[in-house]
Amino acid sequence: MNDMPKNGMPSGALMMLILRVLRSSSLHGYAIAQRIHVLSSEILRVEEGVLYPALQKMLLKGWVTSEWGISETNRKVRFYSLTAAGRKQLQAQQAEYDRINDAIQTILRTA
Amino acid sequence: MGELLRRLNYLLHRRRHDSELEDEMLFHREMMGKTQARSFGNTLLLREQARDAWGWTWIERLFQDITYAIRILRRSPGFTFTAIVVLAIGIGVNVTAFSLFDMVALKPLPVRDPASLIQIQRRSPSRVNRELPYPHTEFYRTHARSLSAVMTVMGVPPVTLDNDTQPAHISFASANYFAELGTTPAFGRLFDPRRDNSPSAPPVVVISYTFWQHRLNGDPAVLGRTLHLNGKAVTVAGVLPADFASPGADTSELWMPILQEPYIVEGSKLLTDPSADSVRMWARLTPGTSAKAAEQELLSLTNQLRHLDPANVWDNQFMLSFAGGHLQVMQPDMYQVAAMVSVLSLLILAVACANLGGLLLARGINREHEIGIRIAIGASRKRILRQLFTESLVLALAGSVAGLVLSIAVLRVMLTLTNAPAWLSPIPDWRVLAFSTGIALLAAIFFGFTPALQIARQHHRRPIARHVLVAAQVAASCVLLIVAGLLVRAMHHTLYNSPGFGYQGVVSIDPQLAQHGYKPAAAGVYVSQMQSRLRAQPGVLSVALVKLPPMGHSVSRIGTEIDGKPVAIFPNSVDPAYFQTMNIPFLVGRAFLPGEQHVTILSESLAHRIWHGESPIGKPMPSDSPSSAPRDIVVGVVGNARVNALSDSDATEQYWPAQPDDMPQMSLVVKVAGEASSISPVVKSISQSLDPKLFPEIRSLKSLFQGNVATVERIAAAVSLVGFIALVLASIGVIGLVAYTASQRAKEIAIRLALGAARMQIVHTILRQFALPVALGLLTGIAAAATASSALRRALYGISNVDPASYAGAILLLVSILAIAAILPARRALRIDIAKALHHD
Repeated sequence: MNDMPKNGMPSGALMMLILRVLRSSSLHGYAIAQRIHVLSSEILRVEEGVLYPALQKMLLKGWVTSEWGISETNRKVRFYSLTAAGRKQLQAQQAEYDRINDAIQTILRTA
Repeated sequence: MGELLRRLNYLLHRRRHDSELEDEMLFHREMMGKTQARSFGNTLLLREQARDAWGWTWIERLFQDITYAIRILRRSPGFTFTAIVVLAIGIGVNVTAFSLFDMVALKPLPVRDPASLIQIQRRSPSRVNRELPYPHTEFYRTHARSLSAVMTVMGVPPVTLDNDTQPAHISFASANYFAELGTTPAFGRLFDPRRDNSPSAPPVVVISYTFWQHRLNGDPAVLGRTLHLNGKAVTVAGVLPADFASPGADTSELWMPILQEPYIVEGSKLLTDPSADSVRMWARLTPGTSAKAAEQELLSLTNQLRHLDPANVWDNQFMLSFAGGHLQVMQPDMYQVAAMVSVLSLLILAVACANLGGLLLARGINREHEIGIRIAIGASRKRILRQLFTESLVLALAGSVAGLVLSIAVLRVMLTLTNAPAWLSPIPDWRVLAFSTGIALLAAIFFGFTPALQIARQHHRRPIARHVLVAAQVAASCVLLIVAGLLVRAMHHTLYNSPGFGYQGVVSIDPQLAQHGYKPAAAGVYVSQMQSRLRAQPGVLSVALVKLPPMGHSVSRIGTEIDGKPVAIFPNSVDPAYFQTMNIPFLVGRAFLPGEQHVTILSESLAHRIWHGESPIGKPMPSDSPSSAPRDIVVGVVGNARVNALSDSDATEQYWPAQPDDMPQMSLVVKVAGEASSISPVVKSISQSLDPKLFPEIRSLKSLFQGNVATVERIAAAVSLVGFIALVLASIGVIGLVAYTASQRAKEIAIRLALGAARMQIVHTILRQFALPVALGLLTGIAAAATASSALRRALYGISNVDPASYAGAILLLVSILAIAAILPARRALRIDIAKALHHD
């Protein structure tokens, strides 16, 4: 599996971020990438070669669903939204991430 | 399992999903183009990576590979056709062999619940019998709880039908037989357990469909018609269906309830005699009982039976069950034959695959260019290998379908020729289909893998693979030809060599005295009357008595050890005139004297095994048991005469003088001048005047012998055909490989020619590299054949399994065909256009 894609972000983390930005509203693929880019103060860039495989995998897992809508530029495009399973997954991943992060921080502070 | 459903849903609508993804990514690209001009990369590849998530890309690749393979194969129809024909032969032989095994041993009989049907045989560590006394079966029937039903079938010698000269084959079966099998009659009724299970019931007969058609001319008023069997009136109650499936492949024309047997065979005590092994026992397992559990129960019942009838239950006797729901009840030796046949047919497949491997390798050179390009534009070697293997797989499957068609045709012919039961059909069942798919896969691995590996690595110029292929083909065809040669020689040996006894003009007459309840004294009177009246007939040269007549229904065989080697002794009790009548030569000593006891005559082979060439006359027979009983003294040695083991070259014979107690079991052999059948009416009329109850069975030894030989002929013909196919395949393979080598070295040949090399020398150079693999192949083949053919010994009718003539013949044939196959393309290579060859590239 491609654990460390080109942008240096583990794919698990990418999925967590996608789930997180979809929590408030449904977005299309480009908007997801943009949102992550903007929210990370333009540090994180989500490449298309990573975004779409991740989205397909999340569709397969049933964490997100998709439906067709009209974009701001008046184009037919696919909007992704979170499912109940996706919400649960987000919580679980976030808790796991916090736990690991705390542990790493502890080591960085004390070692 | 929502995930699995989503995955499947994706597979079903994958075209729509893919175009959606395409749209979406296009949109992404457009949006990106507005803000920044960055390359989106290879869109196809990106899309494929995204689709990967669903886990179906392998199907797409496989589909692509298959389409590509079909396109490639269609582009070279000559190669494809040759390959499919070669495979159809190799796979067809295997599928045919497997189909036959399937019919015999795997296909369930079309009877009710074939899985619970078993046959039960009697065994002890030293004795084997498929039949057992009828009273014993009654005991098991009453007491066994693990068996829900016990059926018995008694086969007796053919009976006379009305005034026909041709006898009819009859079996007696227990009244529950057809009900347990679930047989529905074509007309009328079959046995009724309530009506027919009594000796006093009106005698009825059930007839087979073929009997009704051929012997009774399809008489529409057959029900209720009276037939006379052995002169006794019986009523036709019903006709069996044309596709009646009888366990044990019993092809009797007539079936009667077993309790009627004493009515037809007058005086018979078989139903009450606990010492006569007279019936085959079939049974149905009680639902939920295993065959092992039934054997356990039968063992304890056998031990109870021993208390009731100590004389007729063997020491350590146990009952062995066999699956009965197939055409044949498979015995261990049948599995041996099956294993041998499968080895031989796999050899054919090996030849075909090695052949095709060579063709593929030769094709590789033409595809070098194409594959080079594919590798250059980024195809991985793994992908190329997979592509090449897919091609082989497509070829193998096509070959397998063709082989299946071929095998159906062959089976159809075989079934018609052998009068097989009507319920057998050549249409493959799921087992045969699974087998042919499996064998196709195996073939693809055999013939496709090495060349694919070599081609994908672009290393195919190395000759080692070619050498292995040549050696494998030579070895496999060598084995097949040697085995075919052995069988053909064996056939000739039987046909043109004396079997050690004279069968021309000899008939055997079995009056079946014991079966009709004759006591020794009465039997003695009958046979001596018969003997003297036959001797008085004009044209009768000699008359003798014999207990086990040549090629008769029953054979006795004593397995023993002499000097630690197993020896099969075929015992017989005869009167003094036997050797003269059967034309068995006396080597030393004398014949029996009338009334003599405790003397014996040996066959040459047995005498040699015991005394190694010393004269045995006057010596007592060695014995294992140090009993005080007088041991038999050898009075004579006669030539080997394997009257009851024609094909067993290990058989030996021992004769004793027939004693008064043997008389009820005696048959007569009569030698006449001229045609043997001329004596039949005379025998019948003498028998009628001696005892009208008796209907002696009269058999011509010549026709029995010919029937025996015909079987060998058929087997030899089949194996020769297979050997011939192997030879043709191997020579095609060698032609191909030599032509390929020559074309590879075209430039070198042209240079040599241009420099004035002798043509013979060039041929020599091309062919030299094949000498070693051919020699290795021959050696391997000879060694394998010598090892494997020891299993054949019994079928070889007196030919040694290392018979030099067969080996030399096979090797000579193989080598000369290979030489021709090699020289043809090599000579063609010399007719090369030197200028053109040198200007090429």
